[in-house]
Amino acid sequence: MIDASRIITEALVQSGADVFIGYPITPSNLFYSYSKERFPEFLAGPDEISVLQWMCGYSAAGKIPVTATAFPGLALMTETLNMAYMMELPMVLIITQRLGPSTGSATTGAQGDLKFIDGIISGGFPLPIFSPSNFDDAWTLSNEAVKTAIKFRTPVIILTSKELVMTQKSFNINSLETLEKVDTTPKAFEPPYQPYKAGEDMVPPFFPLGNNEYQVRFNSSTHDNDGLIRKGTPESLANTWRLREKLENRIDEYTFFELDAEEGATNLIVTWGVTADASRDAVYSIRNKGEKISLLIVKTLLPISKKIYDIIDSYDTVTFAEENMTGLYKEMIFGKRNNPKVKTATKFAAMLTPSEIEEIVK
Amino acid sequence: METTEKILTTAKMPFCPGCGHGVCVRSISKSLKELGYKPKDVALVSDIGCSGLVDPLFATHTIHGLHGRAPALGVGVTLGLDNPYKKVIVIQGDGGATIGLQHILEAARRNIDMTLVVINNLLYGMTGGQMSGLSTNEFKDYKHNDDNTEPYDVVNLAHQSGAAFSVRVNDISNFTDVLKEAISVQGFSLVELSSLCTSYGMKKVAEFKDFIAAEEKLMNKRPVGVSLKRETNSLLENIKGLDTQFTSTINDSIGVVIAGSAGGGIQSAARMLAKAGMLSGLHATMKGEYPITVGTGFSVAEVILSKKPINFTGLEKPSVVIAVTDDGWNKVKNRITENSKVFVDSKISTERNFETKEFLKIGGKKGAALCTVSHWIKESGIFPIEALLKVVEDSKYAASLQNAIKSADDL
Ligand SMILES: Cc1ncc(C[n+]2csc(CCOP(=O)(O)OP(=O)(O)O)c2C)c(N)n1
Ligand code: SF4
Ligand SMILES: [Mg+2]
Repeated sequence: MIDASRIITEALVQSGADVFIGYPITPSNLFYSYSKERFPEFLAGPDEISVLQWMCGYSAAGKIPVTATAFPGLALMTETLNMAYMMELPMVLIITQRLGPSTGSATTGAQGDLKFIDGIISGGFPLPIFSPSNFDDAWTLSNEAVKTAIKFRTPVIILTSKELVMTQKSFNINSLETLEKVDTTPKAFEPPYQPYKAGEDMVPPFFPLGNNEYQVRFNSSTHDNDGLIRKGTPESLANTWRLREKLENRIDEYTFFELDAEEGATNLIVTWGVTADASRDAVYSIRNKGEKISLLIVKTLLPISKKIYDIIDSYDTVTFAEENMTGLYKEMIFGKRNNPKVKTATKFAAMLTPSEIEEIVK
Repeated sequence: METTEKILTTAKMPFCPGCGHGVCVRSISKSLKELGYKPKDVALVSDIGCSGLVDPLFATHTIHGLHGRAPALGVGVTLGLDNPYKKVIVIQGDGGATIGLQHILEAARRNIDMTLVVINNLLYGMTGGQMSGLSTNEFKDYKHNDDNTEPYDVVNLAHQSGAAFSVRVNDISNFTDVLKEAISVQGFSLVELSSLCTSYGMKKVAEFKDFIAAEEKLMNKRPVGVSLKRETNSLLENIKGLDTQFTSTINDSIGVVIAGSAGGGIQSAARMLAKAGMLSGLHATMKGEYPITVGTGFSVAEVILSKKPINFTGLEKPSVVIAVTDDGWNKVKNRITENSKVFVDSKISTERNFETKEFLKIGGKKGAALCTVSHWIKESGIFPIEALLKVVEDSKYAASLQNAIKSADDL
């Protein structure tokens, strides 16, 4: 029997993550203990602001750092996460959701942090958010998280939930294919080197601090291609705008989802993370009763690809299944306003069950 | 040996006329040059504030971060580079040192090999001259500020936390020499330099000296902080596969809730049950629930055993509920449905009449849960009890676990 914390930790290390820097918090503590055992380098930070600042330092020095926390820690990390984003530093943050607000209930799972994370980068900039729905995803999406972080020079969040990463399950580990270390060699560029000058792929080539070839500058404030503070110049504003474009224009390179479409179905269940397994069971049961139903499990929650909108638009009725009060992913797609085509199967402070989902879909 | 490569990109400073920050920047550059550092051997970490406007002036590698956090960023850069030939210099103001004091203490405590220069102008220059945690009372009086809380002595605080070298220098003619000494130290060094803010402080340096804290120089002999790197093994390496050796009569799925008190072997009984199920060709899940204070109060575990792979791991309607203590019973009694098979210890007072047995007395405090599980396995015949005995075979506590399992015969 194993749990997804173990799978995610192992996948990140195999993918080439170098260092885990953590501060303990339930329900992310298994990541902390597994990382202490497995990462080539492990550091215990004195608080979450330090944790993420240290990670930025490691990342700027060319390493791939990882941490795991929950909402209270992420709240403290928010300013530094913006810094990492602005500096374009690759790293992975695992956020395990638990019941809020505030300290809430540390050992009760939830899916309540999506909206906070959606707006976490000041200015409404996109940040890749991956959400594993089961053990297989835990493996592959962790690998994709490292790839995406390096490829796009960005922090990436793996958004999980207590029940998903702490429940033990019998699982055939031989089904997990060994992962390759993600290549971090800087790509070719047109000289002269400027730390924030990007080519057509919109991502500047990465050289670490301290390298002997090129002077590099990282900057958290609005900066030009040289990495120097510039307020409101066309070059510096274009550089900031690029942060959005590199992720939005190439969104389908890191958009992951699972669509179980049934021929002739007009109803769709949309779900993510820990509620996906309950939805799989609900779909099985509904089909057993002779009804037609399709299932969309979203794995790249943010930013939202047009592919996701198109799938949702192709159904007459859509039920969002989520473990929060109002359907936070539903609100990402349709807003807070009632919509005759949209239903929400939600649950507060407990796991949403297959029969509850089925009840709403009916 | 002094290097010929320029450390500064320009002689023109971005500060107000007469601002002391310019002297500090030039002293830092001079000390690096005289120590022979080439620009690419230095990573300059800057904070936010007027004192943070320095990165464009340096031809070194630079990283310009957040207000107060530069020392923490510097720690990450130093450990990340892990290269004694690269020098990490962090610059921040007294405001930065106030908001991020914890980061300084942590860098000092770990004796991280970097130099932090705190440029102290006794105020928040960039935001309009407000008082900081390092503003002296003399200066606050002069500014007609009625707060008379004593300032932090950041030099002493760093020393108390374990910094290899920490010093306050007020005389600008000594800046370069002291900086050279600090940069040459192995481990964490902090240099507090006094700097006059001509816009919000006063105009003359000569007057300023009456408002600043006295010079001091403190040292600790301690090993330099490093981050250990090691070879590790896969976390999947020691996960043993459980091959089917027994047969089960379960055709669908069955959910078991086991409840008791902390230290009563509840979680391990559940894990053993799950593994016995796996040895009998079943899929299994297991989760535990207990108060944050794990050593006291209730302990509840849920196990699902199923012929088919298990998706949803929640347990809506438990088929079996086992409770061996009141703590546990109170936690799970509401989950019982008409179809649940219930086993409670005879000491527990229940509102309804359930089948009770002396599980605690027979199985013992630590073995009661396992004893009850064994009783149920035998009674229901879901799989042979040998499957459970097989699970405990290689355990450190095999003998006492086997006793607990066998004690079910005495119920
Ligand atoms: C988290 C945060 N809070 C407040 C500020 C606003 N702020 C910018 S600079 C500064 C004070 C700078 O004072 P100091 O560090 O002493 O540098 P100086 O300007 O005096 O050189 C403050 C409060 C900020 N940038 N970030
Ligand atoms: S405001 Fe003060 S500290 Fe800032 S540049 Fe001007 S004189 Fe220097
Ligand atoms: Mg200041």
